Amino acid sequence: MEAAAIPAPAAQDDHHHGPPVANQSSRVNSEVLGILLFIISEIMLFGAFFAAYFFIRVVNADGWPPGAGLPVAVAATNAAILLSSSVTMHWTDVSAKRGNQAGMRIGIVTTFLLGCTFLFIQINEYLHLGFTPKTSASASVFFGLTGLHGAHVIIGLLLLWMSAVRIFKGKVGPANYKGLEVPGIYWHFVDAMWIVVFTTIYVL
Amino acid sequence: MASKIRQAGWYRALAFTILGIAVCIGLSTGLRAAFGLNPVYDGTAVLQISLLMVPIFFLGGIGCFDYWLRWASGRKVVDDHADHGAKSWKDYFKVNTDHKVIGIQYICVSFFFMFVGGLMAMLVRAELAAPGRQFVDPNTYNGLFSVHATLLIFLFVIPVFAGIANYVLPLMIGAPDMAFPRLNALSFWMLPLAGVMMLLSFLAPGGSFAAGWTAYAPLSVDAPIGQAFFTIAVQFAGASSIATALNFLVTIITMRAPGMTFFRMPLLVWANFSTSLLVVIATPFIAASQFMVLLDRALGFNFFNPAGGGDVLMYQHVFWFYSHPAVYIMMLPGFGIISEVLATRARKPVFGYRMMAFSLLAIVLLGFTVWAHHMFVSGMPNWVRIPMMATTAIIAIPTGIKIFSWVATLWRGVLKMDTPMLWATGFIAMFTLGGISGVMLAMVPLDIHVSDTYFIVAHIHYVLFGGSLFTIFAGIYFWFPKMTGRMFNEKLGKIHFWLTFVFFNLTFAPMHLIGVQGMPRRVSDYAEQFATWNMIISISSFILGLSSLIFLYNMVASWRSGPKASSNPWNSLTIEWQVSSPPPIFNFDTIPSVVGGPYEYGVPGAVHAIVGDPAKDLVPAGAGATEGHS
Repeated sequence: MEAAAIPAPAAQDDHHHGPPVANQSSRVNSEVLGILLFIISEIMLFGAFFAAYFFIRVVNADGWPPGAGLPVAVAATNAAILLSSSVTMHWTDVSAKRGNQAGMRIGIVTTFLLGCTFLFIQINEYLHLGFTPKTSASASVFFGLTGLHGAHVIIGLLLLWMSAVRIFKGKVGPANYKGLEVPGIYWHFVDAMWIVVFTTIYVL
Repeated sequence: MASKIRQAGWYRALAFTILGIAVCIGLSTGLRAAFGLNPVYDGTAVLQISLLMVPIFFLGGIGCFDYWLRWASGRKVVDDHADHGAKSWKDYFKVNTDHKVIGIQYICVSFFFMFVGGLMAMLVRAELAAPGRQFVDPNTYNGLFSVHATLLIFLFVIPVFAGIANYVLPLMIGAPDMAFPRLNALSFWMLPLAGVMMLLSFLAPGGSFAAGWTAYAPLSVDAPIGQAFFTIAVQFAGASSIATALNFLVTIITMRAPGMTFFRMPLLVWANFSTSLLVVIATPFIAASQFMVLLDRALGFNFFNPAGGGDVLMYQHVFWFYSHPAVYIMMLPGFGIISEVLATRARKPVFGYRMMAFSLLAIVLLGFTVWAHHMFVSGMPNWVRIPMMATTAIIAIPTGIKIFSWVATLWRGVLKMDTPMLWATGFIAMFTLGGISGVMLAMVPLDIHVSDTYFIVAHIHYVLFGGSLFTIFAGIYFWFPKMTGRMFNEKLGKIHFWLTFVFFNLTFAPMHLIGVQGMPRRVSDYAEQFATWNMIISISSFILGLSSLIFLYNMVASWRSGPKASSNPWNSLTIEWQVSSPPPIFNFDTIPSVVGGPYEYGVPGAVHAIVGDPAKDLVPAGAGATEGHS
């Protein structure tokens, strides 16, 4: 409206309309591509800690497992909990795409609570292990890898919390679910990474 | 005052910083009390927690997270572009989402740290001017060369390339901005924090970090608290680097203008694509190495404690798995700049365009297979040496392809030897010398002989100074008219080049000789026999340092009052030169269409892209460009 009133040279006119819409040169959505690249970066971060694991357990042959033995059953239960949270996360995603508000709400709350349960059990496990990072290099690797994963669970939970807030304010729906989809992808990554950590630390 | 503190900006940043320190003191004492540790207040613990957390408080205060927090809390977010574009110089000191503003912020901050780091090099050379002790004690000397290297690597070469690419890359591919403008702003603001943290380490008890930029464990684990400044600052610089790289990748993949296929992209875009791949994949390794050092230092972990079963060599493996690719992170964007400058100033298409692109990708792949060539004398198993020697020699092939293609680009071109071109051709000569000493160093016997001597110092400066820095100067001079809308002083630019070129060689070439003769690096004193050469080197280095003042003067004076630059002073075909200088706030009125290759110089009537400009009536009516202009 104002632009019409002022005989505007091009430079001033720029302030009245926003940027031109960028050409979409790929079928991949930019937010999804962004989180996938970030996950590659995260995998490499874990990779470096796995390198430490390899050097200390295999090359240096520091005794494994650290301490008197690791509570494999507890960790396996935890893996089951985290995996089921991936299922509920997927259900939340599907509900969002279908516009099922109740499904979304139940789904995100269940996922969040399952994540919290995982952390609670993990911390309890830490307290009853009978060794600390100071005990040995193997113990450091154990705490390094599981702790790094735990930190990622916390980040994932923060993202889920944001999604939950938006879901309960009615901001997420079939037309607008990127803010749920991206944390969801991250959460699946955190779950998948636990399978790798669990296998290398507790099973092998 | 209260309203100023509520608004994003420096007042709130200051308030948040103070709040952050308070929180860290509370957190530290609270946790220590909860775990029953004595004493409850521990300065070292508070300092380490503060180094990690206070920068995040500062970022919150300056306003990096405002939009995201509003969005995450489900409130209404308005995208009114209020923080896009700079209207006065003050806007450069605020969080801004415009890639052009962020690019200039990057470049200015990194050049600031170049001058600080360069000054430290001058102090190092002053100390080394004669044998014995001149000005500083050995510990301060170790600190000086460590901070010099760290600043110039993490706060200059890596980010200045990110800055140049930030400015020109979206323009080159016909995008209105980067894919994630707010992430872009956040990545910039983490950078000065990392730099300030590194400088603050000089105030730490026990002096600044002094374990070299490589910070080998267990030296870095046992070093005084100044080392923690390095450990944590690198995390912020690294996070900044990863976030920018991710942003570049998404921008290049999803936001190219119609018609801009991958093989029509300018080579600068290819170079940054490759670099960003390296950054996203490799940088987490240095983050991890420093996390482990931090855990060892702060919480008594045993990663690098041989007594507890830790593995010291593991540090070097993890560190070099990042830091070897990092030398390509510090070089590939420069390769891109050189391709742009050479093609434009020789008026010829880049020779072997596709091979130039593929050789970049080959360097990315091979770059991950050579890391242990830094460790030939580390005591790792001997059999690892031979494959690493072979891969290192092989990686010279794609680099050689690039050198020969550049030379072939110049062949029978109409060369215009102005300042950007001087730097570009100077780069080819100097980088070839650095590359040759690199191939020499790949050979295990020679490497064992010259390990930790000045031969290494000479090599790294030939590739990072004669290589990267020359490309940076070429790029800065080349795009200066675009960024500022003014021309630089050509005469001063040429004087700057020749002084730098001559005294660069006088400074670093003799280091090859004294290196082969066995003068050790990283030691503040040396044998009498090296005195003459060191005096020559020191004098040359001071003149080299002074020559950068000509550059500084030229840039500042030309920016203030240089003659106005036209939109395309170099007669270039790529898109960034088809818009005004400096470009409009949103880059384009309509997204340009790409119709041909980027380097069709010498082909009559060749066009790379049609850029919508209603004033010139290039766009057919009804294409949407004239909307709002009637």
